[in-house]
Amino acid sequence: MKLNNTPSKLSSVPQLRKVAKLGDAAGAAVQAVLKPAKALGFPYRKPSVPKGQTVPETPSKLGADFETDWARKAPAKAVRAIVTNGPVRAVIKLLANPEINGLDRLADLERLDKTPALIFAPNHHSHLDTGVMIVAVPEPWRSKLVVAAAADYFFDTKVKGTLAALTLNAFPIDREVTGRKSSDELRRLLDTGWSLVIYPEGGRSPDGWGQDFKGGAAYLANRTGAPVVPVFIDGTGSIYGKGMKKPKPGKSKVVFGSPLYPIEGESTRRFNARIEAAVTALGDEALTDYWTSKQRAAAGTNPKLTGPEYNGWRRQWALAEHRKLGKAGQRRRQKRRWPDLG
Amino acid sequence: MPRPGFVLEVDRSTPSILFWRGENFSLEKLPAGRSRVIYPPEPLDAIKDIDGAIRHALLNPIDQDPLPALLFPGMKLTIAFDDVSLPLPKMERPDNRQRVIEAVLDLVAEAGVDDVHLIAALGLHRRMHEYELRHALGDRIYDAFHSRGMLYQHDAEDHDNLAVIGTTDHGEVLEINKRAAESDLVIYVNINSVSMDGGWKSITTGLASYRCLSFHHNPETLENTRSLMGHRHHSALHTSVWRLGKVLKDHGPKIFQIETTLNTDMFPKPFEFINKREWEWTAKDRATFLGTTKALNRTPIKLARKIFHGMEGPHQMTSVQAGETEAVHKLTLEHVYKQQLVEVQGQTDILTMGIPFVSPYNPDGVMNPVLVMCMGLGYLFNMYRNKPLVREGGVIIMTHPTYRDFNPVHHPSYIDFFEQVLTDTTSPAEMSRKWEKQYAEDEWYKHLYRTGNAYHGVHPFYAWYWGAHGLQHAGKVIIVGGDAPTVRRLGFTPASTMDDAFEIASDVVGRNATITHLHVPALLVADVQ
Amino acid sequence: MSRLVFSRKPAKFAMARIAGAIMPGAGAHVGPLALQSDESLPLPTPDWVRLRPRLSGICGSDLSLIDGSASAYFDPLVSYPFTPGHEVVANVLGADGKPGKRVVVVPVLSCVTRGVSPVCPACATGQINLCERVAFGHFEPGLQTGFCADTGGGWSNEMLAHPSQLVHVPDDLTDEAAVLIEPTACAVHAAARYTGEQTVIIGAGTLGLLTLASITATRDAQRKAPIIVTARYAEQKRLAKELGADIVCTTDELPRHVRSASKSLVFGEQLTCGAPHVIDCVGSSDSLQQALQVVAPGGEVQVVGMPSNVSLELTSLWHRETAIRGCYAYTHADFTTAIDVVRRHDLGRLVSATYSLKDYTDAIAHAAASGRRGAVKIAFDMRGN
Repeated sequence: MKLNNTPSKLSSVPQLRKVAKLGDAAGAAVQAVLKPAKALGFPYRKPSVPKGQTVPETPSKLGADFETDWARKAPAKAVRAIVTNGPVRAVIKLLANPEINGLDRLADLERLDKTPALIFAPNHHSHLDTGVMIVAVPEPWRSKLVVAAAADYFFDTKVKGTLAALTLNAFPIDREVTGRKSSDELRRLLDTGWSLVIYPEGGRSPDGWGQDFKGGAAYLANRTGAPVVPVFIDGTGSIYGKGMKKPKPGKSKVVFGSPLYPIEGESTRRFNARIEAAVTALGDEALTDYWTSKQRAAAGTNPKLTGPEYNGWRRQWALAEHRKLGKAGQRRRQKRRWPDLG
Repeated sequence: MPRPGFVLEVDRSTPSILFWRGENFSLEKLPAGRSRVIYPPEPLDAIKDIDGAIRHALLNPIDQDPLPALLFPGMKLTIAFDDVSLPLPKMERPDNRQRVIEAVLDLVAEAGVDDVHLIAALGLHRRMHEYELRHALGDRIYDAFHSRGMLYQHDAEDHDNLAVIGTTDHGEVLEINKRAAESDLVIYVNINSVSMDGGWKSITTGLASYRCLSFHHNPETLENTRSLMGHRHHSALHTSVWRLGKVLKDHGPKIFQIETTLNTDMFPKPFEFINKREWEWTAKDRATFLGTTKALNRTPIKLARKIFHGMEGPHQMTSVQAGETEAVHKLTLEHVYKQQLVEVQGQTDILTMGIPFVSPYNPDGVMNPVLVMCMGLGYLFNMYRNKPLVREGGVIIMTHPTYRDFNPVHHPSYIDFFEQVLTDTTSPAEMSRKWEKQYAEDEWYKHLYRTGNAYHGVHPFYAWYWGAHGLQHAGKVIIVGGDAPTVRRLGFTPASTMDDAFEIASDVVGRNATITHLHVPALLVADVQ
Repeated sequence: MSRLVFSRKPAKFAMARIAGAIMPGAGAHVGPLALQSDESLPLPTPDWVRLRPRLSGICGSDLSLIDGSASAYFDPLVSYPFTPGHEVVANVLGADGKPGKRVVVVPVLSCVTRGVSPVCPACATGQINLCERVAFGHFEPGLQTGFCADTGGGWSNEMLAHPSQLVHVPDDLTDEAAVLIEPTACAVHAAARYTGEQTVIIGAGTLGLLTLASITATRDAQRKAPIIVTARYAEQKRLAKELGADIVCTTDELPRHVRSASKSLVFGEQLTCGAPHVIDCVGSSDSLQQALQVVAPGGEVQVVGMPSNVSLELTSLWHRETAIRGCYAYTHADFTTAIDVVRRHDLGRLVSATYSLKDYTDAIAHAAASGRRGAVKIAFDMRGN
């Protein structure tokens, strides 16, 4: 019954028609240029292939081989600084409102004259995690942060890959086995002072519980000597977990742990287990408190991030209980939506 | 390589010297030919791997079993820690206390100890605000322990929770926090900013009752404390405290003392000029000094205070030692002196000192007139070993605005002390006789101390007694730039400029008196030969 | 005879009010007070006598009239034009016009002076300050000499008095001491309620100091707890100490002193305990509010300084069952005691300066700023002419 609006709506119709007419005219003009080209044929068009001949495939530049070096050059850095400090920060604040804890555990490294490159190893529940990490990682690491991203997901097309590289400084890696080329490249990045975010789980959680850690971060640390910072992110799974169509804004929490150093002679597997234990303890700290987590860590009884052993509805049931402890449990109650009766 | 401290003889080419003036600074020209300036040693290098050093100290203590060997499941463990009066200014996070206590808790968790209490050993100081506890201990410890009632602050007036340990051969009764007294192990975590602190003083004052403190916090003891910062046997206070320590050792709980020292890198950028020698100021330092002082002159005092008290010092740990109290403290003192000791030849007629915006008793508060006295005569005057820098009957000149301003939340009894007691007498002995009991037993002060954030009712007396030796020793005390009626109320002489002050001083010490300036900030202890 | 006359001139009264608000005492310049030469006043009845004032003090109530700030309450109790001055030491003039014995005047115009017979119940018991006939009888209304058109007042060469108003001044007292007998009688009247418990006197102007002096002179043996006096100026503080106050402090220090002396706790601004007896010698909203802040539950605030239109938060009065009680003037007996008090404390020294009538603007300016200028009592001196 919004009578006041009707005149303006009516008046906009002729304008729309004008625009449509203009569009038609433009289309006609383009057609006028293209038509002669079509008529002209090769070399104005793609050549046809003679029978029996095959065109050799050009090597794919997509996936793990996506070229991202340009994204770490000055112009891209400048663009990214604007994007991450502006829109990314705003969107993350709006969707996930992260509370950041444990930065004091990085204070000693921060104070050094030459801060070392770090490998951040967070658990992974959501695409938001990368944004949250970009916001949460403190300077001086934030401005030199590379995110290892699944090659098959982020770098499957040129546009997606370019955008990921530009805005998130994403670097393509294989989920399962880190190829020699990727790993050499990552080592080179660490050696030149770039810090990494690597999700040791290899991908987002499929069911809300964590997955076993794969050895990527431990392997790199073992090879480069870079310290691994275990990180626990709570809450993003229920904001925008895998399979959700649209995000449900809520709160999240990021807890940084003390840097872990590879010990002389320690195998990647054992170091990986240490990282997983550290993230598990941080998870306990985030959901309960520091002292509970410490005590359980000493007794080896921190609740596993991978959830209970059993399957089916009981696993889902346990997840709900688990989530109640964390930031997701504090979610603001959604405003009740009544149908608009005008 | 940090340079040691030294004594500068002032000549005509010496630039003006930096003085604190509360929430500001001034440059003062000292007379050539008869003045000298004592510069503190430069900040020592901090430990590289602090957390590693702490862990090493816990696992390899001095004259004591390693900490894990002292821990067992089912035990009662109390961790006591120094309060907000240390360090000054507050240090960047993480604080020493957080680092040490987290390292201790690692071992405690491994040993399966559940009954752990954390107690702020504040004696009769004010209770710490939540943000101060969070700063000292870190958010993790605060969040985990406070909500469970396992982190709290000592209450010297909670008679149900105090226990008598024993009595010294001098009749001093050792009465401390009951929880600590009944623990299987007490771990004390300290920050040893000045040589006066630490050792047995940690527990016998920090966890003590008013009754227990009154045996040594009194005018007689403090007048006979002839070296608060120097040799222990010159200090009646420390002699008494060590007697109490013996009782604690013989009859009290087992103690594991952890002491830490800091370097004197106290001021963050861009205030490094405060710690520098004036002739080494760069153009940038000079610009900062000019900009800062001129801006502060126009800044409302409340804002200036907020700026200064908000400062976090970059000072870092230079040593950590753990184990048996006396052995640990001996080593701690070596580290403190290594940072602070400067050898000085002979006493002086006039001692000058700039009084800063903060003393141990007003972190995040107002440096009220009583604390100006305490800071000047109680602390800075006492920064000596062997004999005082100023000769007996000499003159002490301080610079401070000495405004008549109090923080009513932190210092309610100080206001009444200033209005009631100081109008009656400035003599420590007399005020102790006539007024101390009334203040110590006042229900309202007790209430504010126990539930608010107020210093105990008797605390202004202690602050005043702290200067008892200085008061008795000095022939005259002059405050430059102070509010005249307030300065007179303190029993001191106001002067508007340093030259006036020297002029006034000449009535006492003559025209050609020697002058020595104690160049604080940075801490220093003058080893007077 | 020459006298200062205060007449009913509304325009001048309004100007005085404005001037007085800007600077206390300035009402004398622009207001309805003027020096005049007049015929002698007729005697209301033959038993009245003529007096020749020697000294006449300037009182706070006089100042509030001059500055136009007095309450409209008094309007029906005052008759114009009148000569102010009720603190008077004077000589009685004989029939021959020669000055005779030295007296002070009890200014209250009670039933006896008005020829009202039989006297009202209050006067019958000697409480002439509570007389019910002050606006009636066979001359113009006037609550006291100095506010009545028919009697004249002390700020003149000649005034009238009823013999019942006269109190003989002993020869050992100076005129300065004698001029303080009337205000001291007021103070003696207030001091009668002193119990020896903790007592606060707010204000160390003339009234505050005299109240203190009356208490310490007459009831010192009863003192069980400290007497706390608030004073603003150094000279007031010195005198208060000298007259026997245990604690002298400024107004903003008062709650803290009362708190610690009464071992009180505090909620909000209110002391939980406090002083059982508070004597307010100022009478402003601020002073009364503070009196209620520091008075003990069930205690009494005695209003000695004249209040006019004040605004007060009275919840604490209700909650703590405290009382506000007025204290006006004196009886004949109070005058007798006052003479002793004046003698005991040598109160003549409180007369800080005297002026001749023609310098009345200076005199009033001095009186209005007496505390700041280190003075206590300012008086007119008519002995010269």
